[in-house]
Amino acid sequence: MKRSYVIKRILYALFIFIVVLTLNFFIPRLGVRDPAERYYPPQGAMSDIEYEIIKQFTREQYGFDVSTFQQYIRYVRGLMRLDLGTSLRPGSPRVVELIGQRLPWTLVLSVTTLIISLIIGLLFGTLAAWKRGRWQDTLLLNASTISVALPSFFIALMLSFYLGFELELFPAYTNPNMVAEFDWSWNAIQVVFNNAALPIMSMALGGIVGYSQSTRNSVIAVTNEDFVITARAKGLSHTTVLYKHVLRNALLPLATSIGMSISGLIGGAIIIERVFNWQGMGTLFLEANSTNDYPLMMGIMLFLSAFAILANLVTELFYAILDPRVTVGDKR
Amino acid sequence: MSQRNVLLQVARRGGSFLSLVRKIWQHPKGRVGLIMVGCLALVAILAPVLAPYDPYDVTQRAAKGLRPSWEHPLGTTITTGQDILSMLIYGSRVSLAIGLTTGVALAVLGALMGVMAGYIGGPVDTLIMRIVDILLVIPTLPLIIVLTNLLGRSYFVIVLVFVAFGWTGLARVIRSLVLVLKNSNYVKAAELAGASRWYIMTKHILPGTSHLIIMNTTLTCAGIMVAEAGLSFLGLGDPTAISWGKMLAEAQGGGALLFGAWWWILAPGAGIFLAVFSFMRIGIVMEEVFNPRMKASSSIHKLFKHLNHSYLDEVFRSMEDDGGAESTEKPDPAEPSTTEGGHD
Amino acid sequence: MLTRRGWLGVCSALLAATIVVLSGCQRIEYPCRTDPTNTLYVGVVQASFPSVFMPWLSRDGIAPTVASMLYSTLFSYDDETGEFSPSLARRWYYVDAEGKPIVTDSGSIDFDRLETHGVKTLTNPQTGKTERYLTVRVELDPRARWSDGRPVTADDVYYTLDIARNNYLSNHAGALAWTADLLHLYSSSGKLQLQGIFTYDRGAADCGYQIDEAERDHVVYLHVRGVLGAVTSLFTTVLILPQHLWEPIVSRESQLNSRNPDARMQHLYQNPVGCGPYVLDAEASGPALIVLRRNDLYHMTREDSSPLYAVETIRLILYQELNVAIYAVMQGHIDMLDAGLSPNYVRLFDGRDDLFVSVAEGTYTQTLVFNVNPVASAQTPMRSLLANTDVRRAIALAIDTEMLIRLVANGAAAPMSAGLIRESLTDFYNPSADILRGEHSERLQRANDLLDRILPEKDEQGYRLLDGERVSFSILGHPGEIELISFLEIQLQRIGIGIRYQAKGSSPETTYLWTSRFDMTIQGVILSLANVDIMLNAHFAALGRTSNYGRLVAPDLAAAIEEMRSTLNLHRKYELLRDLQPMIAKLYYKVPLYSPQIVSIARTDRYTGYQVVPGATVFNTTNLQQIRRLDSSGRTASSPSGSPGSPVGIVAAADKE
Repeated sequence: MKRSYVIKRILYALFIFIVVLTLNFFIPRLGVRDPAERYYPPQGAMSDIEYEIIKQFTREQYGFDVSTFQQYIRYVRGLMRLDLGTSLRPGSPRVVELIGQRLPWTLVLSVTTLIISLIIGLLFGTLAAWKRGRWQDTLLLNASTISVALPSFFIALMLSFYLGFELELFPAYTNPNMVAEFDWSWNAIQVVFNNAALPIMSMALGGIVGYSQSTRNSVIAVTNEDFVITARAKGLSHTTVLYKHVLRNALLPLATSIGMSISGLIGGAIIIERVFNWQGMGTLFLEANSTNDYPLMMGIMLFLSAFAILANLVTELFYAILDPRVTVGDKR
Repeated sequence: MSQRNVLLQVARRGGSFLSLVRKIWQHPKGRVGLIMVGCLALVAILAPVLAPYDPYDVTQRAAKGLRPSWEHPLGTTITTGQDILSMLIYGSRVSLAIGLTTGVALAVLGALMGVMAGYIGGPVDTLIMRIVDILLVIPTLPLIIVLTNLLGRSYFVIVLVFVAFGWTGLARVIRSLVLVLKNSNYVKAAELAGASRWYIMTKHILPGTSHLIIMNTTLTCAGIMVAEAGLSFLGLGDPTAISWGKMLAEAQGGGALLFGAWWWILAPGAGIFLAVFSFMRIGIVMEEVFNPRMKASSSIHKLFKHLNHSYLDEVFRSMEDDGGAESTEKPDPAEPSTTEGGHD
Repeated sequence: MLTRRGWLGVCSALLAATIVVLSGCQRIEYPCRTDPTNTLYVGVVQASFPSVFMPWLSRDGIAPTVASMLYSTLFSYDDETGEFSPSLARRWYYVDAEGKPIVTDSGSIDFDRLETHGVKTLTNPQTGKTERYLTVRVELDPRARWSDGRPVTADDVYYTLDIARNNYLSNHAGALAWTADLLHLYSSSGKLQLQGIFTYDRGAADCGYQIDEAERDHVVYLHVRGVLGAVTSLFTTVLILPQHLWEPIVSRESQLNSRNPDARMQHLYQNPVGCGPYVLDAEASGPALIVLRRNDLYHMTREDSSPLYAVETIRLILYQELNVAIYAVMQGHIDMLDAGLSPNYVRLFDGRDDLFVSVAEGTYTQTLVFNVNPVASAQTPMRSLLANTDVRRAIALAIDTEMLIRLVANGAAAPMSAGLIRESLTDFYNPSADILRGEHSERLQRANDLLDRILPEKDEQGYRLLDGERVSFSILGHPGEIELISFLEIQLQRIGIGIRYQAKGSSPETTYLWTSRFDMTIQGVILSLANVDIMLNAHFAALGRTSNYGRLVAPDLAAAIEEMRSTLNLHRKYELLRDLQPMIAKLYYKVPLYSPQIVSIARTDRYTGYQVVPGATVFNTTNLQQIRRLDSSGRTASSPSGSPGSPVGIVAAADKE
């Protein structure tokens, strides 16, 4: 892979990151004359003079007492130290700390869902492509329309109702002590997956159908290519054709779509986490929102954006490895 | 070369909107879709007539938490005693209104950007594509949540963010098509004849992309309706309006699961499903209507597939959890030449 | 692409993953169901739990409740009777110029002598004005201990009150501690300008305040403002901190209320040392769990020396959603829920013998507040209508509170007098202030008559017109109040006034209350004996960032409130409080809608003996002190530290010296 291509893509990613962090910096300052009032809203029985003094303290504490440009510089400097700011929660935990606590839990959901939907999707998609036109194929087509039309949170609600409340197979809501009592023991892992089962089921449905559809299309497309027809004409067996030629090329575009969905791994589960009260990044963000915790909110947004940029970059480079033609003639 | 010709023929596949509708009607699945959309529109428009009670009218409340009965076919809500069937009917208004408004606005903005980027090229193209890259990276749902916090909860903010972030997909698709159309003979002829850029763009290029736009708009509307339901579910919409997503949120928050009132959850869910399903049906049927010949040729099929579906991801990505699953290509389709053949 | 071995690898990985995932499929036993110990599992519905328990750091959520269990105030207060009960301190009285107690023969405060002999004056160095003040002597309970074993002394009280007044070191922690009536003043640079707290080692003798050698560690003298209410907040809201732990750590760089605490302070935040009935088990606690263990060193006990609090361990479990928590109680995952439920849920608990449903009288009142005096920039013709008392009176008369109680609150609410004081506060409730009662149709007629004189014109739909424009007001509220506002809309339609819902904005400075950008709003009002001094002023007299949203300016009322606040005669004070109520009622500024009851639930299979406490959920000190743990056979277990079935008599022996 050409080095100039790699460097170009990295620089470009950096450029996007800088734009995004600038936006991130300015958004909470939207429509507010005095950010200190937003960070420390006035308490009822305080006098005006007292409140002014408190605002001054707040300004100093959060660095609003310097010019906007200086605040920006401080912000960028902080980012270089990997400091995303300090939350407004009592005790002032750092944003990176909070993210670090919650991120693994979101990943438990997302990664498990990804793996499950990928594997099942691949298998079913190949099957549907192989049996093109038969009932497996039509089933897939209908399923894919249905899965888009049925919002995942609705499926989540129905699942939590039937499997959770009525049949009591899985807990309808996440046990709030699951995180605190997790000690890497086998029992604790069982508890985690017991609680994660319903959220994963809600998310996996859409994923399975999606990957099946993509695989099927990809496989069909490749199957009709000249070189495959050539291979068949040469007399190679079905299986050999399937494995050596079709899948290899069909999976190529699939790899990039996986890369795309990786960036959705973290931020994508907000609604599902909310339905089940799963203590992950999604609920962290919603908590920050309900308590007007701006540093935490913007910190998470920046983190998600940075992750998306990184995921894109990795995907592009990976794709370039698989298909070097992309690195040439990259006209933009 | 051959595929370019086919594309051009697609683009030029003439006929007015009406003939399009007729063709969809002739398709059996399309007919179902059209009927469903028609019914949906009727329900939304005639809501005050169709609904047995007026859910906005506080005097028409009944006892709270009634089970389905003849007076209240879907029972009443536990929190306020409103008739659920009437809420369902009125909820269609919000979904439809937002879906269509956003869809149309996205179509306009996306097509405009795509055509400009594709046709004018050069710095305009670069600028637009850069903006697209930046917009793609910012997570939509958290952003909407932040903006609702700052600017107040209303559908206006939601529509604004959808439009501001959603045009990227359509723009890219249109841009690819425009790049092909740009080199077609009759466009070149018009340029030689001295026609202005805008003239060419509006009179020649835009009509060529119109079918693509219409089809994508239909699918976008479907996606927006799902996304709006999700946002209303989180409580980010107008608190006084009745929407299906909000009904689901009320159901969950009001303890429907505790009381065993599964119908309260099923009803809005079914509403969302039917509305989105009907739009999607029409969209998919449109695709088949346009390109009956495309099924035969695989690489064209592949090209078209990625032209169509690659942007739905961006709409769905923040809402669904494995949103990338629909696309088959890198969401930055290079020129068609890179998609040919395979390699051992 | 993949060889046979490759496929084998994939399949086995798949199998392993499936096993791991499917291992989750089993019924989990919740600890509450199997825990045999005297542990109460309490569900709390919040967005998140605090991780620090510095009592002045936060007013949100469960933090103040937990802080009040970990720390103590000097006295506790009975809202209904106005009596102080001992907590950290056993006794207090005013002293006169010679240092003698101003008490009657029976031991209660001698109000007649207070005015003549108790009041002194000083010059306030900050304002230059002369101020009246009283001297109070407080005697601490010598048995009081911090949870690390050290005794609670007068130095702790001095330190706490002193730093509350010193913003330089405490970063306005004092604003959360309500010490404004203590005349102990610091400059903004941390210099003591006026001393108002005296102990044996700190100037008591110089002022002539008597403290014996033997009691030197347990007596504090305070200079408080010359009003009766000055001691109330000082004694009952200020949580005393241990000086020996905080003083070495607090500095200008590391302030008491700092949002960027250093390591030592962080440790102290998270491992609080208090003298309250419970101690935080910091190791067992986590982000969704707070474990409190009964403090063996707690000095207040029953007469037979058994612990005052019957519950040994409390586990507070975080639920972020109310329905989840209710489900948990119904399934037995927790014993009780510290949250007020909507009355809609009561039906759910019908017929369940294992649940105790507490419906307690509420202490706060939903009121409709008018913007009677907007700032000039927010003045509109509609709002100028609201300045007219008769218009407000008509609106108040037209509101059908019974209908609201029935339909909005599902019957779980009580009407409230227009004087805004609860009937149960018999000592000073004034029935003549209850002017909004009566037959609704008759009130409606009166309202219409009143408005016919002011706004005679109506449009086709029956709404009144002001200069040709329909009279319509917006009510500022949050989404939970939409129902209420819709009902008000209907009710006011019958007098020809239009109403619409206006959403509260996301931040105070861009909306409403302190900028007068609203017509009406819904406000919760709590007036009780403990807070009348501050609250009446904040609601009806003071301007600025107070609870006086509509900027009412009523000189007579303000003067009466001030007199009530400053009189030193308790009987006169109650008299004035009674007189204030009709005055407030007739202003029709904050019109009461209803007082919601507090509905909460608890399970009866592990504990029994719950009581309904007005103004509280089932999680309250009374219940914590007296509920009994049942053993597995359902009989009351004998508590390991004392006789079962001890009577409710709470107060510790006060004179065990």
